[in-house]
Amino acid sequence: MSLLADPKAAFADLTRPERWVLGVSVAFMLFLLGALLTGALGPTYFLFLVGLAGMYALLSFGLNAQWGFTGLINFSVAAFFGIGAYGSALMTAESSPIAGGFNPLVGLVVALVVALVLALLIGIPTLRLRADYLAIASLGLAEVVRLVVLNERWLTNGSAGVRGIPSFFKGWPVLSTFPETMPGLRLVVIPGSPIILGTSFWEALLNVLLVLTFAGVTFLMLRRAHQSPWGRVLRTIRSDEDLARALGKNTYSFKMQSFILGSLIMALAGVFYTHLNLYVGPGDLDPITTFYAWVAVILGGSGSNRGALFGGIVIVTIREGTRFLNDFAIPIDPAPMRLLLIGIVIVAVMRYRPQGVLPPQRELIWPSAVDGGGTTETPDSGVREQKGGGGDE
Amino acid sequence: MTVLGYLANGLVFSSIIVLGSIGLSLVYSIADFANFAHGDTMTIGAYTALVTFGAVGGLGGAVLGLPYGFFLALVVGIAVAAVVAVGTEKLIYEPLDVDSIGLLITSIGIAFIYRAVIQIRFGSDFTRFGIQSLRPIETLIPYGVRVTLHDVAIVASAVVLVAGLHVLLQYTDLGRKMRAMADNPDLARVSGIRTKRVKLWTWVIGAGLAGAGGVFLGLFNQLSPRMGFNLLLIIFAAVILGGIGSVYGAMAGGFLIGMITQLTPFFSNVVEALPIGQGWLATLLENLITLEYANAIAFVIMVVVLLVRPNGIAGEGAT
Repeated sequence: MSLLADPKAAFADLTRPERWVLGVSVAFMLFLLGALLTGALGPTYFLFLVGLAGMYALLSFGLNAQWGFTGLINFSVAAFFGIGAYGSALMTAESSPIAGGFNPLVGLVVALVVALVLALLIGIPTLRLRADYLAIASLGLAEVVRLVVLNERWLTNGSAGVRGIPSFFKGWPVLSTFPETMPGLRLVVIPGSPIILGTSFWEALLNVLLVLTFAGVTFLMLRRAHQSPWGRVLRTIRSDEDLARALGKNTYSFKMQSFILGSLIMALAGVFYTHLNLYVGPGDLDPITTFYAWVAVILGGSGSNRGALFGGIVIVTIREGTRFLNDFAIPIDPAPMRLLLIGIVIVAVMRYRPQGVLPPQRELIWPSAVDGGGTTETPDSGVREQKGGGGDE
Repeated sequence: MTVLGYLANGLVFSSIIVLGSIGLSLVYSIADFANFAHGDTMTIGAYTALVTFGAVGGLGGAVLGLPYGFFLALVVGIAVAAVVAVGTEKLIYEPLDVDSIGLLITSIGIAFIYRAVIQIRFGSDFTRFGIQSLRPIETLIPYGVRVTLHDVAIVASAVVLVAGLHVLLQYTDLGRKMRAMADNPDLARVSGIRTKRVKLWTWVIGAGLAGAGGVFLGLFNQLSPRMGFNLLLIIFAAVILGGIGSVYGAMAGGFLIGMITQLTPFFSNVVEALPIGQGWLATLLENLITLEYANAIAFVIMVVVLLVRPNGIAGEGAT
C-alpha cells in the first residue's frame, strides 16, 4: 500500500530494529542473488532453501500461536512436526508399511486429524500444569512419541524411515506433470557458467509456491485471530491468567484452542517437509527440531509473526550455513557447530534482547486505532467506528 | 536374570540418578528455575575425568578395581563441573533480567553450548575410560546377580556423597542457610543471609554431584556428548516424583525411577506370566512394557505425578 506509493515515508516510519532487519535482509538477498547469478549457488538448491525457510517459518507460526499468543511453553514441537510428516508420508509413500499410495491431499487430511488427536492427548493432561511443569511434561511426552515412532516397526518402518514419497502435486490435473512438460531453460548471465533450469528446478519452484501458500494463509489467519476478541483473551491469559479467569473466561478451554491451533500448524509444516525432503526418519522427531522453532520464535520476538518469519530464515542460514562453512572455510563438524550457534543465539537473545528482535508492536493493533499512526489513509471501517456504532450512514 | 539381579542393576543405576537429581532439585528450589543444562553438566564431569585419567594414569594401586588415578580424576571432574556451573551463574544467569521461564529457556542455550563444545573437542562417538572392564563378582553369580567391583564402587561412592550432603544440610551453618533459602528466599534475605553467596554454594554442590554422577555414568555405560542430555528427562522424572525442592524427595525419586527403568525387563516377564489371557490388553501390555520403552514409562510416570500429586511423594518440600 503505502510502501509502493511512498517508500521513503514508509522507511522513515520503521523503528530502528525494523530498519536494521530490513537492511540485513536486503544485503543477504543481494548476496544470495550474486551467488545465484555467478553459479556458486544452484537455483534448485536455492529454491530448496527457500522452501526450508518457509517450513521453519510455518513451524514458528505454530509455536507462536501457543507461546507467543497464550504463553504456553510447549516443548513438543518436534512431536507434532514429526506426526504431520509421518502421517502424510505413511499415507502417500509406495514403501509405506501400512496403506500407502493415497493422494497427498488424503495424506494432508490424515496428518492433520492425527495431529489433532495427539494435541488432545498431550493437551488434556498438561495444560492445567504450571508453566515450567508444562515445559518438562511436554518434552517428556514428545520423547514418548519419538520412542513409539522409533520402535513400532510395523507402523513406521522404525529407524529406517519412510522413502518413496511422491511430490505433493501427484495426481493433480495440470501440476502433476508440470515439471516434466516445462522446457529446460539455459540462462547465460556470465559467459562460461550457464545456469540450467531443468525438471528439478520446476519441482522446487512448485514446492516453494506451495509453502508460500501455506505460510501466507496461516500468516493472514493468525494475524486476524490475534487481533480478534479471541486473540485478546489469549493475550490476557499470557500476561495474567488469574485476571482472565476473574473476567469469567474459561482459560483452560482457550489454552486448549490455542494449543490445538498451533499443533495443527506445526503438523502442516511437517506435511510440507515430507513432500520437500521426500524422506522422513525418526531423527526428524529429535528435540533439536523443537528448539529450532523456539530459537526462531524468541529471536523474532514472542507473539510476532513477522519475527517468526525472520527467525525461520535465520534458522535455515544456521542449518545450511554451517554445512557451507564446513565445506569451504573451517573444517568443524556441522552438527556441533549448529548446536553451538543455536545455544549462543538463545543466550544472547535472553541476555540482550529478551523481547526479541522484532517484538510485536503495531501488529497487535488495528492500524486505524493508532493516533497519528503514520499512515494517512483512513480505512473504510476502523475498529472504533465498528465498535462504537459510530457514523450515521 | 533373577529378581535379585535386576534389583542389583537398579541399585547401581539409581545411585547415578540420585546424584543427578539432588543437584537438579537443589538448583530448582534455590535458584528457582528448571535447569535444562544439568544433564550436560554431568557430561562435563565425565569428559573432564576422561582427560584427567588419561593424563595422570593409574598412580600405582587400586581400590575396588579402580586405580587411584581414577579417584583423582573423579575429584577433578567434580571440581571442573562445579567451576563451570559457578562461572555460568556469574557470567550468564546472574546478569539476566528475566523471570524463571526466561532462565529456563536460557539454560537450554547453555546446555547446547556445553554439549557443542564437548562434541567439537571429542567428536560424537562413544568412548570409555581406559580401565579394563571386570568380570562379575564370582560369589554373587549363583544368586543371579551380575555386578562388578566397579558397580560396588559406584554405589559406595554415591552413598558417601549423599551421606556427606545430609550432614552438610542438617548440621552445618551453610546447610541451614540453604534450607532457609529454599523455604523462603525473601525471609532468608531479610534475616541477614547472604543469599547470593548461598546460591553460589548451591551451584557448587549441585553441579559437583552432577559431575560425580556423570563420571559414574561413564563408568557404568560409555561416554558420549549426548549422555547427559539423554539422562536429563529421567532425572527430571525423579525430581518431580520426589517433589521439587525436596532433597530427600529427590533421593527417593531418583532411587525409584532408577529401579523402575532397570526393572522393566522383569516387569515384562511378570506381564507375560500374568493370567490376563490372550486378549488385546495382554498384547498391548506386552508390547508396551519392554526395554525400548523403559524411558517412556518413566516419562509417563512423571506426567501422572505432576497431575495427581504435583508436590511429589514426599509432600510439601522437606528440604
